Amino acid sequence: MEQINRSLKPLPANEIDFSLPEIQTFDLENKLKVFFVQKNDLPILQLNMIINGGSKFDPDNKKGLANLTSMMIDEGAGNFNALELSDEFDTLGSNFNIGASQDNIFLSLQTLKEYFQRSLDLFSTVITKPHLNQTDFDREKRKVLIKILQLKDEPDQIADSAYEYLVFGKDNPYSSSTLGDEKSVNDISNEDLKFFYDLYFKPDNSALIVVGDSSINELKENLNLLFTKWQPKKIQDISVDKITGAETQIFLIHKEGAVQSEIRIGHLSSERNEDDYYSKILLNNILGGQFSSRINLNLRENKGYTYGASSRFNYYKNGAYFIVATSVGSENTGNAVNEIMNELHSIRKGALQKELDFAKSSTIRRFPSNFETNKQIASNLTAKYIFSLPDDYFNNYIEKIRSVSLEEINQAAEKNIFPEKSIILIVGDKNRVLSQLEKLNLGEVKQINYP
Amino acid sequence: MEILNIDYEKYKLKNGLEIIFHKDDTLPLVSVNIWYKVGSANERKGKTGLAHLFEHMMFQGSKNVPKEMHFRFIQEAGGTLNGSTTFDRTNYYEKVPSNFLELILWLESDRMGYLIPALTQDKLNNQKDVVSNERLERYDNQPYGLAWEIIITHLFPEDHPYSWPTIGFMDDIKSYSLDDVRNFFETYYSPANASLVIAGSFDNSQAKDLLEKYFGDIKNSHPFTPLKNSISGLKENIYLEKKEDVQLERLHLAWHSDYAYGKDDAVLDVLSDILSGSKNSRLYKNLVFEKEIAQDISVFQYSGKLTGSFIIIATAKPGIKSEQLKEEIFKELDNIKKNKVTEKELTKSKNGIKSSFIYSLQNIDSVADQLNSYNYFLNEPNYFAKDLQRYESVNADLIRNCIEKYLTKPYVELRILPSK
Repeated sequence: MEQINRSLKPLPANEIDFSLPEIQTFDLENKLKVFFVQKNDLPILQLNMIINGGSKFDPDNKKGLANLTSMMIDEGAGNFNALELSDEFDTLGSNFNIGASQDNIFLSLQTLKEYFQRSLDLFSTVITKPHLNQTDFDREKRKVLIKILQLKDEPDQIADSAYEYLVFGKDNPYSSSTLGDEKSVNDISNEDLKFFYDLYFKPDNSALIVVGDSSINELKENLNLLFTKWQPKKIQDISVDKITGAETQIFLIHKEGAVQSEIRIGHLSSERNEDDYYSKILLNNILGGQFSSRINLNLRENKGYTYGASSRFNYYKNGAYFIVATSVGSENTGNAVNEIMNELHSIRKGALQKELDFAKSSTIRRFPSNFETNKQIASNLTAKYIFSLPDDYFNNYIEKIRSVSLEEINQAAEKNIFPEKSIILIVGDKNRVLSQLEKLNLGEVKQINYP
Repeated sequence: MEILNIDYEKYKLKNGLEIIFHKDDTLPLVSVNIWYKVGSANERKGKTGLAHLFEHMMFQGSKNVPKEMHFRFIQEAGGTLNGSTTFDRTNYYEKVPSNFLELILWLESDRMGYLIPALTQDKLNNQKDVVSNERLERYDNQPYGLAWEIIITHLFPEDHPYSWPTIGFMDDIKSYSLDDVRNFFETYYSPANASLVIAGSFDNSQAKDLLEKYFGDIKNSHPFTPLKNSISGLKENIYLEKKEDVQLERLHLAWHSDYAYGKDDAVLDVLSDILSGSKNSRLYKNLVFEKEIAQDISVFQYSGKLTGSFIIIATAKPGIKSEQLKEEIFKELDNIKKNKVTEKELTKSKNGIKSSFIYSLQNIDSVADQLNSYNYFLNEPNYFAKDLQRYESVNADLIRNCIEKYLTKPYVELRILPSK
């Protein structure tokens, strides 16, 4: 047997050969945009319908309307009541899901090829002929109200939604949580919901993504047949004011008896655009975007304060922010905030070439594994649609990443990371953490109630 | 179903390390998945959580891999990696572009053979802190987060290997010494106690050479005595209450049930789906949809190598007490026992299960892990079609019999109540 020298790290074998799946796009007669990737290795299909009708469109006094609408869509449609409809999907072994986010309502379906036609038939029925009955509405509304009550138990979710509230500012459509609050949900009527549905569930306000074992002709035929009666109506997108805070502010939400503190630190950021997207990806990879990033290595592997710490640029269609998120043992709350702030200051002084090389290598080489499952491919296409990415976006991705220079990373850090204009939010037990936070000298600790 | 017939090749290295190959050239990716046949069941009282600690220590570098570099090398190659721990086993897995297979085999072999020379007190102290924080984040600071721990400590006898949580008790986590770690590793982390799957795009004969090169010289430790199931069943119901800072009361019911791949295991899976798997399932429809006395309900059969448990969890709507939920749950079980489930209910569940088998084939990691799982429990990696057959053959009589056999026996009942 060959005597091996284990101290030598093996080199990669020959370069791999990866070709991107081809994306085919077409519009139905009713102006519904369709994105299709044919993938025949398994007899299954994934469908995503994206409706431009997320919670940012909720009227001020009816926060939670988009979410409630999404919950009502499958409570009976066409010839089926809510329970029958659920049975129909189950009998086909098809997975049907709905959810609302700030920008969109998403409907997704995973089905076997042999039941594609029948599943698609149900899928189109749900989208175009929901019952929206009063009885179902009353029940689902009660369910949401209790869900809102339950959120009080979830410190991580309190932190996430309170952070968005603070960072966007209360008058911004992105500042309220998708679920809404008790008062606003109470004020929603089934008439509001029908109005919302009629307004936003329109083919020219939506896109359909299909990935899997079908052909473009079969797909066109089926879709035109099922969606003919669904008629377009032009809708305006909203515009969003962006105000970045002037100085660092530190907030504390008291959670009696919490053994950990949830920490969120960050600020608004520029919207997703092709100019600086790639340098921001790599910058964040170095700073807090993955396990071996500065923030995680410092807080977890060096200090042992946490199970994990990360940062990201979070993009919505008309707004974006930067956030660092972690949860730490209460006794280390002040220390952890301090370390995060140090990392934010430090990255502005520049990254190292070897850090950039590592970030590029992992991002570029990981690219093929983003196209493994139908769901992954569909979610890539979803991003392409939501952010109106160019048709050659995926083709050029690797080259764009490769061409980012260290100088561009350092510029991106100066233009996108502002430790001195940050929101610092802690959800934890004030009796354990308040004095730690006061010692940081980051200004007055504002104790707030949320929600 | 032909699609569920997964091609594989299986052999053993001289030191006993089991190797399973599955070729799939759809994408230029390769997945490596190792199961060590050691889980929390192999721990002893006072040192619970050691198996899970390895899920951390195994990423801290080994003799030829400096600290932090295990992660870094794999990430640099565009790979993903992780591990997980159950009662019965610990797994470690990576997915990388296929030209980096050798890198992974080097890393996995170095930590299988040469972890201990790189073990230091500093690394251990740091990861004890990280695991303590993991426990706080995932259990202690989560609403209802300690329910599972409370259930299993009461459902299983005091010295039963399943009677403590895989994360370990906090005092135990704080108590690990270097010797504890060394002894545990030397007992369980040996080639003869592991199986390694390579799935995806790779060349068989090249892979065989690489496996021989990197794993061939790793020595085995001393054999250990396999675990025995020492379960005699509960003599009577155990009623537990815990007050917590939560908004809603939650009821948990837990029974002893069949072990993984035992003859009733799949029947209980189907029963759990019929009870709570969809909007029109028995308990969901009754408690959540119609009577609106529960906010949510879930039912599952959780089975391991030694034994299993059947669990029902329901969260009460405001103003509703556990008593009322419990009454409805038992009424429904009784109803099924008397009148049996319908053919339609069986068809729905079975079709859902069949689809999920096929959907899961999209992901090379999950295929690799499943091959290892079937190999571990049944000594046959390609058990996909037969596994589905277990579900296909469930009928209404078998379900009724299972309710009689397991769910009319004593149980553990845990109510978590709002403290305010």
